[in-house]
Amino acid sequence: MGKLSHADVVHLLMQLSIMLLLGRLLSEALRKFKQPAVIGEILAGILLGPTILGMVKPEWFQALYPVPSPTATVLTGFVQVAVIMLLFIAGLEVDLHIVWQQGKQALSTSFLGLIVPFSFGFIFPYFFPDFFGIADQHEKLTFALFMGTAMAITALPVIVRILMDLNLFKSKMGMLVVTSAMVDDLVGWLIFSVILGMIGKQGDSFSILNTVLLTITFVAVMLTLGRGLLNRILPWINKKLAWPGGVLSISLALCFLGAAFTEYIGLHAIFGAFIIGVAFGDSKHFSERAKEIVHQFINNIFAPLFFVSIGLRVNFITNFDWALTSVILLIAFAGKIIGSGLGTRLGGFSWRESIAASFGMNARGAMEIILGLVALENGLINERVFVSLVIMALITSITSGPLMKWVLKR
Amino acid sequence: MKVQFKRIGLAVAFSPTSQALLTEACRWTSLHRAELVLVHVGPRTPAAEEQMRQLVGTVSITPTILWREGNPVKEILGFCKSENIDLLVAGALKKENLLQNYIGTVARKIMRKADCSILMIQNPSVESKLVQNIVVNAEDSPFVEQAIEVACAIGEWRKTQWIHITRELKLLGLALAANEQCTEDEYHESMQGMVREEVDEVEKMLGHIPHQHVKINIKMLSGKSGFELALFAERKKADLLVVGAPERRFSLLDRIFPHDLEYIFANMPCDLLVVNPKKKKHG
Repeated sequence: MGKLSHADVVHLLMQLSIMLLLGRLLSEALRKFKQPAVIGEILAGILLGPTILGMVKPEWFQALYPVPSPTATVLTGFVQVAVIMLLFIAGLEVDLHIVWQQGKQALSTSFLGLIVPFSFGFIFPYFFPDFFGIADQHEKLTFALFMGTAMAITALPVIVRILMDLNLFKSKMGMLVVTSAMVDDLVGWLIFSVILGMIGKQGDSFSILNTVLLTITFVAVMLTLGRGLLNRILPWINKKLAWPGGVLSISLALCFLGAAFTEYIGLHAIFGAFIIGVAFGDSKHFSERAKEIVHQFINNIFAPLFFVSIGLRVNFITNFDWALTSVILLIAFAGKIIGSGLGTRLGGFSWRESIAASFGMNARGAMEIILGLVALENGLINERVFVSLVIMALITSITSGPLMKWVLKR
Repeated sequence: MKVQFKRIGLAVAFSPTSQALLTEACRWTSLHRAELVLVHVGPRTPAAEEQMRQLVGTVSITPTILWREGNPVKEILGFCKSENIDLLVAGALKKENLLQNYIGTVARKIMRKADCSILMIQNPSVESKLVQNIVVNAEDSPFVEQAIEVACAIGEWRKTQWIHITRELKLLGLALAANEQCTEDEYHESMQGMVREEVDEVEKMLGHIPHQHVKINIKMLSGKSGFELALFAERKKADLLVVGAPERRFSLLDRIFPHDLEYIFANMPCDLLVVNPKKKKHG
């Protein structure tokens, strides 16, 4: 194992400490306005990164976060692990048994909530690639597919928070919205995995058919045999090993193993973590208390590091394109409101309730940012599009609660 | 809507437990001042008729006897429909093996598809058994109130010690994790608020259900609801588990991504009563 110098260790610890402290400070400030922590963490990154500190005091920014450096490599590793863990908890949130229990209604709502935003997100970049900065014809298809996925995905924790605030979480509409968001996320990440497989890494791109087959096989095996195996070993873990240490270590170990496996076979690591999360979350032996502990551990330590790091790597001012951001915002709002609104209406709710639900489903939150970052790292999008996606994710998350309240009060 | 069991059905298979099941069905028939209708799916041979005559001779009630031939599940379900049965009494094993779970035994198939209330008895007995603990699931069914009402009535009838009414804190892990932006006090307050809301909901329902002579315990569960419900019933050594019927019939997929009741069907913790006044609702 390589070794960091004494100075590097001090430097790395300072970097981590500053990221966590400033992230927490700004999250606390935003808490006063009932906004999610992720917004404060992104702002902390913008303050510490090239956007503000790099502009005002470039030498401070260089001293604090030098690139390339051994600490930058380690920090990238931390962030990589954080993304994998975030996808693991996103998977944990998907409860297939609740989805199925909601029946056809949830499936039709989520289908429209997925297909309409996906189509909107696909059509515009496909027919106007120049506007989005895409020149290559092959890139055009993968980029349009990605934008479709980015528009279809939802932020489950943000939706849950809003529904709890409105006292609607356990209502029929609340459960319909939550389960539809779960299905949208599951399908969204499946599609994204296929897109990543299509572009491949270091040029070793797979054919669409191979990627789709690999993805479906992995999902099918994990959600049948894998889930069955988990249902056998989890009671043993709960009974014989220390609690919650045993279940935490083993679940994260399996998450990393699944991530390593999908990365090895050519799908992205995050996909393995997500599906392992779904398998764990669906097991009747993985308790709600264990879920909460995993959530808190990841959300409060690794998630801030990840979200602050975003501001460290991208300049939000030089890469801000108001026209692009406006178009992306428009597509995002229109797609989800029309799709989820129609879906909920078909599910038997009034127009007012359907529009309120669609505003809830419009929140993209952290998932959009993760999706965007992975796409940026894989050369699928440029920094301008990434910045627009982050802004879209933040605006949709901030506005969905107030808009939902406003519609329901009318 | 008051639940009434005016016509009680019993499928007779001439098994070793038939007499005990008939006695059990007679108890319910007397309590509800109902009519008892027996059905046997199989050829009506003189030997079978003699067996039926002997069986019926052991009880004081005179039931109507019907004979059907064909697929037992189809015939029993058809019998419930054509005879306007309100409650079907049947015997069931505690557990199905993996293959049986996916293919389904006669009893489980009936549980999954019947349009009337069903009482599944694991170990029927000729002697009247004590029913000390009843667990009622007050979730995920349009017939929750009716399930509580029936449980309270049984509780009064069988001098039950406790009726445990369970509610579920749905997706608790996710709900608490989503509640990230709050202080420790707010966190506990939010948790207490969730519990209080559920208790209030049950108390509201109990407000118009007579339950003066039984002790009620309201319990919150979280996790996979059917699985946790079965565990809770086992922990409480329940004699009877009462649940409201789901809105729709079950399919094979409900066994792959188990519906709450599928966890219970797969491993019944005790006798099970599925309250289903659907038929009445549709006239």
